[in-house]
Amino acid sequence: MNVIEIKNLTKSYGSSRGIIDVSFNVEQGEVFGFIGPNGAGKSTTIRTLLGLIYPTSGRAAIFGKSCTEDPEVRREVGYLPSEVFYYDNMRVIDLLKYSASFYKKDCTKRIEELAGIMDLDLKKKIDDLSFGNKKKVGIVQGLLHEPKLIILDEPTSGLDPLMQQKFFELIEQENKKGASVFFSSHILSEVQRLCSRVAFIKEGRLIKLEKMSELQDNNYKKIKLEAKNDIDKDLFSLEGVGKLEIKGRIADFIYRGNINNLMKIFARTELANISITEPDLEEIFMHYYSNEKV
Amino acid sequence: MNIYKHELKTLLKSTIIWALSMTALALIYFSVFPGIAEDAEEFKKLLGGYSPSIRALLSISLDNITSILGFYSMIFSFITLCGAIQAMNYGMSVLSRETRERTADFLLVKPVSRSKIVSAKVLAAFTMLLFTDALYYVSAFVMANLVKTSDYSNKLFLMLNLTLLFIQLIFLAVGLLVSVFFNKLKTVLPVSLGVVFGFYILGALLVTGENVAARYFAPFKYFDYNYILKNGSFDGVYLVISALIIAAAVTASYLIYTKKDIHAVS
Repeated sequence: MNVIEIKNLTKSYGSSRGIIDVSFNVEQGEVFGFIGPNGAGKSTTIRTLLGLIYPTSGRAAIFGKSCTEDPEVRREVGYLPSEVFYYDNMRVIDLLKYSASFYKKDCTKRIEELAGIMDLDLKKKIDDLSFGNKKKVGIVQGLLHEPKLIILDEPTSGLDPLMQQKFFELIEQENKKGASVFFSSHILSEVQRLCSRVAFIKEGRLIKLEKMSELQDNNYKKIKLEAKNDIDKDLFSLEGVGKLEIKGRIADFIYRGNINNLMKIFARTELANISITEPDLEEIFMHYYSNEKV
Repeated sequence: MNIYKHELKTLLKSTIIWALSMTALALIYFSVFPGIAEDAEEFKKLLGGYSPSIRALLSISLDNITSILGFYSMIFSFITLCGAIQAMNYGMSVLSRETRERTADFLLVKPVSRSKIVSAKVLAAFTMLLFTDALYYVSAFVMANLVKTSDYSNKLFLMLNLTLLFIQLIFLAVGLLVSVFFNKLKTVLPVSLGVVFGFYILGALLVTGENVAARYFAPFKYFDYNYILKNGSFDGVYLVISALIIAAAVTASYLIYTKKDIHAVS
């Protein structure tokens, strides 16, 4: 069964559009990325999925059930919202225990484990914590019941780089243990690192859903080289070369095609330096955002 | 239930403050009683000077004003006013707390239905109102016995005090209903004060006339103390009306809250 099934999901807020006819599935065991600019509808999709808001039409299901009809299904869901707020005057440990009390299993060991990994002081009052530390409470709170589906909404904002690393290792571990992850983020490098499939949402509609590997395969390579001598302007007039810029000894271009043809040209040229890179997700993303007509 | 216990803890401090305040208010009034009882005739003459409508307003019955129960009827409406503010506050704040403190994304994502959440919170508010009333009742009972000039009926005293609970339940339900209509409730107290005082004054204005129908709009006048003291019972019609209001408001609150969209915090 698919862990998440979203079918023709539409939500409008009066006359403003929220999301329109969004459909996709998240399979058991995968790490699924969900990207879009501000206001695209990521939060709306997640909130509808969780049962916080009701769809105008369509359906969103977790493990085959709707959260609003079967709230029990949330037992297997861990949600890390982008902004965390908790009740005043509670200690971290009290909040975590309160959270655990909803799941009908003993989470004490897991709470201690997670607090240790994230370096979280359980005895402190939540009000006294910095933003980053409150975020850590959110992370522990979302994972302490060992959920089979983890929904992350901008999870690492506010964490220092070391903690971000630890957090990702945590998620990777959970995934290895069998948890599926739904990851909404602006930080494309993170999505790139963790996710096996990615969906792009723009202006309320899903415009692209692809495997990470295909996204990068179907794309071009970026090449920047420095030759020992001035470069002939015809040297790279080869099919598949685009955005060619030659300035004296430096050539800058993108290439899509049989890499061997390009290698032959490199072999014939005295090079001082060369860099061949994959475009990162950000560049692919920007390509879809600026070019794609919805 | 965990939500219930959590809410009890949240309401505990305010409950104690309300119970103590109401007790203190009663203490002040009770401390005046011995003086009045001594100069009973003078006091009656003084009150006789006020117009009948003002006396009706304050539930003063010249026959028994100098007896402990009659005196208590006069002051009890002020205690009830306090209790009503407390109840309306609780009604308005239990559900809206999740929006005001922005913890909705925590609680409403838990594997528990929204109706269970409403039940736990309403039950907790009810428990704390009962607790307040019980604390208050015990203190009032002690004080009344300390200052009484002659024996009085414990049953009647209890019945008078029960009206506090009835009116609190009405305002708890009304507060609950008002809170689910708003998506962003910033401050609870001003609305509570406004509504409760509004009804109190409305009651004062309407009931001085002969218009019976007007009484339906004045919850504070649903339970007439003199009627209770004379008849040893509550007015059945108003018990039913109270129950209907409470049932309707609470049911509507459940229905609205379960179907609401809970938006992200801003």
